[in-house]
Amino acid sequence: MSSTEARVPAGLLNPAERELMERTWRPRRGLWGWLIATDHKSIATRYIITAFVFFLLGGIEAFMIRLQLARPENHLLDPDQYNQIFTMHGTTMMFLFGVPIQLAVALYLVPLMVGTRNVAFPRLNALGYWTYVIGGLFLYVSFFLNTGPDAGWFAYVPLAGPQFSAGKRVDVWAQMVTFTEIAALTAAVEIIVTVLKQRAPGMSLNRIPIYVWAVLVTSFLVLFAMPSVALASTAMLAMDRLVGTHFFNPAEGGDPLLWQHLFWFFGHPEVYIMFIPATGYVSDIIPVFARRKMVGHTALVLSLVATGFVSFGLWVHHMFTTGLPQLGQSFFTGASLMIAIPSGVQIFCWIATLWAGRPRFDTPLLFVIGFIVLFVCGGITGVMIASVPFDQQAHDTYFIVAHLHYVQMGAFVFPLFAAFYYWFPKLTGRLLSERMGKWNFWLFFIGVNVTFFPQHFLGLMGMTRRVYTYLPETGWGPLNLLSTIGAVMIAVSVVLFIANVVRSLAAGLPAGADPWGAHTLEWDTASPPPPYNFAHIPVVDGLYPLWERSPDAAVVTGMAAGKRQVLVTSVMDAEPESIYEHPGPSIWPLIVALTIGVTFIFGIFTPWAFLVGPALMFAPLVLWFWPRRKEPRERGFAEEPA
Amino acid sequence: MRLPRALLALTAAAALAACGHRDLSALDPAGPQAGRIAALTWYLVIVGSAVFVVTTGFLLYALWRGGRRVENYSGEAAERHIHRWIYGAVGVTTLILLVTLIYDFTTGRALASFAEPDALTIRVTGHQWWWQVQYIDPVPSNRFETANEIHVPVGRRVRIEVQAADVIHSFWVPNLHGKVDLIPGYTNTTYFRADRAGVYHGRCAEFCGYQHARMDFLVIADPPAQFAAWYRNQLRSAPAPADSVQQAGQQVFLSTRCAMCHTVRGTEAGSRVGPDLTHLASRTTLAAGTLPNIRGSLGGWVLDPQSIKPGAYMPPNPLEPDELHALLSYLESLK
Amino acid sequence: MSTREQKVLDVSGLPTVVFGPKALLWWGTLGFIVIEGFTLVLAVASYLYLRQNEFSWPPGRTPNPDLLIPTISLAVLLVTTYPMYRADRAAKEFDRAGVIRWLLIGTALSGVACVLRWFDLLALNVRWDTHAYGSAAWMVVVMHATLIVLDFFECLVLAAMFMTGRAQKKHYPDVSDAAGYQYYISLTWLVLYLIIYWGPRVL
Repeated sequence: MSSTEARVPAGLLNPAERELMERTWRPRRGLWGWLIATDHKSIATRYIITAFVFFLLGGIEAFMIRLQLARPENHLLDPDQYNQIFTMHGTTMMFLFGVPIQLAVALYLVPLMVGTRNVAFPRLNALGYWTYVIGGLFLYVSFFLNTGPDAGWFAYVPLAGPQFSAGKRVDVWAQMVTFTEIAALTAAVEIIVTVLKQRAPGMSLNRIPIYVWAVLVTSFLVLFAMPSVALASTAMLAMDRLVGTHFFNPAEGGDPLLWQHLFWFFGHPEVYIMFIPATGYVSDIIPVFARRKMVGHTALVLSLVATGFVSFGLWVHHMFTTGLPQLGQSFFTGASLMIAIPSGVQIFCWIATLWAGRPRFDTPLLFVIGFIVLFVCGGITGVMIASVPFDQQAHDTYFIVAHLHYVQMGAFVFPLFAAFYYWFPKLTGRLLSERMGKWNFWLFFIGVNVTFFPQHFLGLMGMTRRVYTYLPETGWGPLNLLSTIGAVMIAVSVVLFIANVVRSLAAGLPAGADPWGAHTLEWDTASPPPPYNFAHIPVVDGLYPLWERSPDAAVVTGMAAGKRQVLVTSVMDAEPESIYEHPGPSIWPLIVALTIGVTFIFGIFTPWAFLVGPALMFAPLVLWFWPRRKEPRERGFAEEPA
Repeated sequence: MRLPRALLALTAAAALAACGHRDLSALDPAGPQAGRIAALTWYLVIVGSAVFVVTTGFLLYALWRGGRRVENYSGEAAERHIHRWIYGAVGVTTLILLVTLIYDFTTGRALASFAEPDALTIRVTGHQWWWQVQYIDPVPSNRFETANEIHVPVGRRVRIEVQAADVIHSFWVPNLHGKVDLIPGYTNTTYFRADRAGVYHGRCAEFCGYQHARMDFLVIADPPAQFAAWYRNQLRSAPAPADSVQQAGQQVFLSTRCAMCHTVRGTEAGSRVGPDLTHLASRTTLAAGTLPNIRGSLGGWVLDPQSIKPGAYMPPNPLEPDELHALLSYLESLK
Repeated sequence: MSTREQKVLDVSGLPTVVFGPKALLWWGTLGFIVIEGFTLVLAVASYLYLRQNEFSWPPGRTPNPDLLIPTISLAVLLVTTYPMYRADRAAKEFDRAGVIRWLLIGTALSGVACVLRWFDLLALNVRWDTHAYGSAAWMVVVMHATLIVLDFFECLVLAAMFMTGRAQKKHYPDVSDAAGYQYYISLTWLVLYLIIYWGPRVL
């Protein structure tokens, strides 16, 4: 270690320096301050709220689907509306809620958990958020203008191609994908670099909290999965529709299955992009509420990594009915069964920890328990449909709808709610009501089962997906009605959650720094955390920093209070290497995001947008990076040559 | 336009009465392919349920046991003890998955080895939103075309070649076999055999646009003699009009838009945009399983398809009542 | 906690300007290289996938792509690595004059590569809307074109920054990263050139 380590009584910030630090990091006020903000907590909070709003919109769409299907031959929605709404539901939940909210929570928590002051590239972070908002608004404005996509969230060609989807509906979908991909990719790079290079001193690889591991693995999945759909939608589908390329046109050597390969090469890891961070929440929450360290930390980390790798070997199991060679399909069956093993390891470790600890049944733990039950169920149906013969019956039926909602609702939304209840006090400084939380949980848990369990039977009874109506003589009416009743329960539960949040913001009990007796670094600072996160970066000496802290644990000193400095440490051992000064707030990320918006929105109508847009982007990009003024020489360095 | 509305009401009532229960269950197999898959399904359901019960049982026990502890169960010996349980559980999981994998593979191989050279070959082409059905035979005069209704002989293997005319569809008869996709540019093949006579419902399983919900078809398994009779009848051209009303109906058919899309073999109508109507009256349903094939619904369909199946490619045909009457008489004669 | 005797880790002596894997921006650049590189890998995979649908490649009577211009283009990109290498070295010595000189040469060559790229596209001898072969070949070459245009503007702006004297100490590592990015672009073009321009003669 190049720096000195010694016992000194002083060295800590004195009140004047503390005041200077407050001033250095304090966010600007007002609308302008909001537009130029680059603090990860500010960006992540609005990211979370935006994604939650999309969750509500996607939920309303789901509810309309359930109302339409509540009885046979229902005329609430016509086929055109129904097709738009189910497409919007899938698209919203996958692209505008699922992935963004997991990355948003990570952008909030990761810098706090690894003990640093901001994400690695704060302005890029703002750019990602603005791009995402533009993409989401674009989709919904189009939808309300009756130009909502209607070819499914998977946009299979040739149905989504120029010949069978005239108009701009599918183009809106394709470019929305572009916006959300840009946002997800920037967030992934942020998280990877923050985790690898900005960990507090002492947080060597073996002391990284499991949640941080989970989002690290997730970010790598984003890095390798998102390019696939970006390529397929932006470079191929949009171009087939705009300039007459023939990627998917079988008459000119194109291939509809190419779309499916590229889409599912993204689409399957996408499921794990939502699921892996969720297991991270669970693995960090269980020790707190079981009041015991996690059983099998290394096994859990290895499971996450293994899940990440294997998730790229599953995509063909979405294509078992396309007539691909049997031998190839067998490989994907094997991989699909294999991924159950790391999931099993995680489940066993969670159960063992609860068994060996002293569980405390607060709302976060209830959601975790609900998660385990639903995830086991969804995992088992997953093993079922990994079988090629069974999948040939179940594929594209409500059995799949049931399965995927058990894993999405059960293994992604339940942990997310656990996380909301667990980290809400950290974000806001106030506790949520436990009583309402328990109502929220039980309604949600029962609602999800009532909604989705009957759909297994509907699938085996022959009910195919994406149908706007069905005939009475199919006999599917009663189970569909039951399913709709479950959806009402879920809706009530979500309304209750919102009420709980509103009530808590207005009159919740103060949380204090650490209301749960937790073990990770974010609970080591105030709730909500100050803009600089930690007055002194802590030095970590264990896997559970707050539980294992020795009485003479060190803190980092020597960082300038008057600059936005972060400590850069080594990848493996988190040894301090350098000090990096972050850029301050800036309007240019927003402006650049707007030019990206112009490029891709006008790119629906004319290819010239792809020349004009980047030209518009040039000036703001230069201004983004252009140094404002000559700054005084920094201490400790050779003079700049004349 | 009072007539169409009245016809629609009649249609709805008739639909309820005529069709009865539709069996689309994957667990009620009528042939060896669906039978093997159903057996595999039961295995998966039983093993899966057992795993679910055991795992949640452990979870509930853990919560109960942990909830009663005053002190954590920890320390080196404890960790070793816990790890042994976890290893055991992972081992059992792996074993179950291995057995499942083997069962999956053997079922898959059995399904694939069903190919037979002298199977009855039928080419099914998916259109938005109906099924074109062509019986293939080495002798050209033994080939014919129909739509939305596939007759097969009981006990004989059937080879289905599927193609798509526009977008991706999926051919699925749950009682007989799993589904196979119809993909533009590809020809996929599937085999099945119906071991008992009956009417089996099929559906399009891949989202194919506006009327994906109404793209059904029937597979009707007949005893061999009955099938042979049906086959001989289908090979024939349409019967000539038997009376003056039918004669007038044929004129309506040939002189209006009908003939621009449909074929009636033996007449000048030879367009292949829509379903072949040569033996329309021998079929059970209309508009790909949407309506029962009775006079009332046929009339409603001809006059105003868009209110029955919005978005379908068949345009409305505003006919005078006497024209409609004649046309329906003619169409009903196409046995 | 300030009342108790607090053990501290003093980091005030650490450098604020570092090169290579010690720097955050180096990792950020690497992240985007991985994204772009993997996108190109998938684009090439799609190109090869579409190959299966044709008896010959290029299909039908479509001629093979020309080799002359793309080869020159490749040579220019490979030659550009030298001035970028020198700019990198100059940056590591904080040699402002050297950085400016070599960056300008690199930028000029990069500009030439951008112009040549238009002729690379014409050398494909097929339009993007002729058939899937044309679409795929255009896609790969255009995607790589966006990278060299990006690189050109990055070098241009960096050079301007140093020439106007606005550049600070912390900008020297950016020059290094720009050089690394240029190596990556040249190397990927070598691979893409072989696949797109030689591939049809072999596949």
